[in-house]
Amino acid sequence: MLLIIPMMWVLLTMVFILLRVAPGDPVSAAVGGKLDPTVIAARRASLGLDRPLIVQYFEYLGQVIRLDFGKTLSDNRPVLDIIRDNGGATLTLTIGAFLFALVIGIPLGLIAGRRRDSIADVLIRLFGVITYAAPIFFVGLLIQMFVARPLGLPTSGIASPRTQFMVGSAPKTHILLFDAALSGDGNAFMDVLIHHLLPCLTLGLLVCGVFIRLVRVNILQTLQSDYVEAARARGIPENKVIRDHAFRNALVPVVTVIGLQAAMLLGGAVLTENTFNWPGLGTQLVHYIEALDYPAVQGLVTFFAAIVVVVSLAVDVINALIDPRVRYR
Amino acid sequence: MKKTALVALAAGVATTLALAACTSSGTTSSSSAATGSADWILGTSDTITALDPAGAYDIGSWNLQYSLFQQLVVMPANSATETPDAAASCKYDDPKTLTCKLKANQKFSNGDVMTSKDVLFSMQRNLKINDPNGASTLLASISNGKTEGQDLAEGAITTPDDTTVVFHLNAPDTTFIKVLTTAAGSIVDSKVFPADKLLADASVIGSGPYALAAYKPGEQAVLKKNPNYAGDRMGKANQIFVQFYKDASPLKQAVSAGEVDVAWRTLSPVDLADLKTKGQQDVVEGQGSEFRYWVWGFNSAVGKEAAVRKAAAYLIDRDAIATKAYNGNVTPSYSIVPPGFAGQKDSFKTVYGATPNLEAAKKVLADAGVTTPVPLTIGYTPQHYGPNAVDETTQLMNQLNASGLFTAKMTSAEWKQYQTLYKQNAYDLWMLGWYPDFLDADNYLAPFLVKGGFFKNGYNNDQVNSWVGAEQAETDTAKRATILGQLQDQAAADVPLIPSWNGKNIAVSSKKVAGVKDTLDPSYIFRMWMVSKSG
Repeated sequence: MLLIIPMMWVLLTMVFILLRVAPGDPVSAAVGGKLDPTVIAARRASLGLDRPLIVQYFEYLGQVIRLDFGKTLSDNRPVLDIIRDNGGATLTLTIGAFLFALVIGIPLGLIAGRRRDSIADVLIRLFGVITYAAPIFFVGLLIQMFVARPLGLPTSGIASPRTQFMVGSAPKTHILLFDAALSGDGNAFMDVLIHHLLPCLTLGLLVCGVFIRLVRVNILQTLQSDYVEAARARGIPENKVIRDHAFRNALVPVVTVIGLQAAMLLGGAVLTENTFNWPGLGTQLVHYIEALDYPAVQGLVTFFAAIVVVVSLAVDVINALIDPRVRYR
Repeated sequence: MKKTALVALAAGVATTLALAACTSSGTTSSSSAATGSADWILGTSDTITALDPAGAYDIGSWNLQYSLFQQLVVMPANSATETPDAAASCKYDDPKTLTCKLKANQKFSNGDVMTSKDVLFSMQRNLKINDPNGASTLLASISNGKTEGQDLAEGAITTPDDTTVVFHLNAPDTTFIKVLTTAAGSIVDSKVFPADKLLADASVIGSGPYALAAYKPGEQAVLKKNPNYAGDRMGKANQIFVQFYKDASPLKQAVSAGEVDVAWRTLSPVDLADLKTKGQQDVVEGQGSEFRYWVWGFNSAVGKEAAVRKAAAYLIDRDAIATKAYNGNVTPSYSIVPPGFAGQKDSFKTVYGATPNLEAAKKVLADAGVTTPVPLTIGYTPQHYGPNAVDETTQLMNQLNASGLFTAKMTSAEWKQYQTLYKQNAYDLWMLGWYPDFLDADNYLAPFLVKGGFFKNGYNNDQVNSWVGAEQAETDTAKRATILGQLQDQAAADVPLIPSWNGKNIAVSSKKVAGVKDTLDPSYIFRMWMVSKSG
């Protein structure tokens, strides 16, 4: 638990250094093609970017300790407002993706494990490898072209403009899906839900490949274990053996992997959001990286890191609850 | 996990998917029914820095500000002459004094009355705030000129009565009235905007044809017709949705699927060609003023040699660049000033011809005793000016190498690093692009030719510096055009840069939308008030 503090400090320091060693600065990124170098230098000075790095570093650490992430340089937004306004979209995207990954990955892994080396097993393994290895933006583009257009599903965004305006302009939770549900407008809710389908599917496919392989391997292992053999020897039907004995135990490692997939999902969310013009934190992060907006990038990366740490911690706790072998003493 | 929980989870997801699929068509029709009114949707990949006029110096922000705010004078579409908007009249008393009379009884969208004090307040706060992302540099003619503590110069603006504003300029400047047409000249409500800091984007109040109904940065801006606006820019649609896209790919998908009615800035040439071929939307082209050019570094051993610069000017094949690198979506440029501007001359065509001239290039190098082939490093940046910048650079490099007079190589750097590198003389010749701040030939000449230009390439010609000052002070249109012509001729003689092309202003619109063609002009102002959509 205490390891979280040095971990976060290393991360904050790395982000700070990497941003500073990158060529350019926020001012030249914004108006470098327009203004004289002396004017640009004056503008850098007005933002305090000409001060010694060590001064800027300790000022930054002090702000983080006070949970003050400051304001963005490129558009004057409080970083916490960005996290509040855009975090909901990333949250529903990753949860939706996770559900898709479970719904697709676990049954396919089960089938592949039960029918080892059959045609179905080969096809499912191939599917798992492809979805894991294919770049998200490419999968997203294919889905936009060959799924969205023929089915009349939206190709981008989290809602149609009118819904976004009606529901999003008076947010209660800052999570558009929930706000749409709370608005009592069924059409608005369905509109937001439909907009979630393809981005969640795209991101979910990335993770489902991991689940397929994991469930398949665990099923194979449990099917060869002594207690499964004992169950078979007692004359229990094969389907019941699989369902009640093999499958349940095969799922335990999946819970552990879920924690590891949190980072992968967030990384994938950045690419998915950009492909589908999704108004989440990933889109914001890319935007601010392009603008070399130091406070924004530092704040968002710190937030992402904190999320991964918290999820990993939660998974450890859940793991200990469901598997007596890993309980801490 | 319990078996029942797993079953419940799977059932829940399946039900949601089924429900979503079942209601998909219903929602689509509901959505299309909703957008079947005069309201329309603009999709753009431009970003917004700020909606407060004191905080932005970019096309995306300025275009929203043009709809939200009034300026004293505005640029009508496809015109090079400003016309009054908030002002009833704006006239130079002399090259240093500009007097504007406001129209009576004008109101901001919140009902506050606009007076000359609001104009003074707007200009002063812009200078005073001096925001790092702002355009206060454009107001240099009324600034006190201080780097620290920038403010309005003493007595630079006087307001004898509620409807009269007099600008007393630091130096003769006939382009200042053009600056007032930009969003930097927007008039804000002095009762709403703070004097010394930016106002939050969602709170901006203006007097333009539209008022801001909602704004989510990076996602959406919703504009509603301003009931208090009574000027000549009356909006046609009651409501306009502006949807922001991260880049061209989702924007192209959205316009193809009919999710946006108009896509403006910026689709790639390949996407435009695809949309043109499919023909489901209109690809509308207007004259542009984007300028792409190659800058010579006068501090490099190669770039300081006039004969080398001229030889390259003889060899460049602009038509090949336009067709092969940009699918014909740009127009070859033979002057620093784009066509359509008063005083524009195709000086490079006159001196170096419209097509490559190998013999003339050989002769100019031989006469100067330059040993060939001349080694040349060409710089470009791969992202900032779009994915075709590399194609353009490759074209130029191949053209120069094919002559046998050059051994050119190309090298690239990301935009932030690129700006540092070209100032450090890393390249002999490098690519840059330009959008005008205001529609006047001066905005293409002064930034490039005076004392090495904003890019500090080391070029300095006293005669040129003096002519720039003269054209800025000249009120006689014919005399000014002559000086502007002299400047372009001198640029062709000295070759501090080589013009490459002028971009077109291109939008893609649904066939139900009208008025897009009318607003596409070199100003790159997307006049949303001119656009309408049939049911």
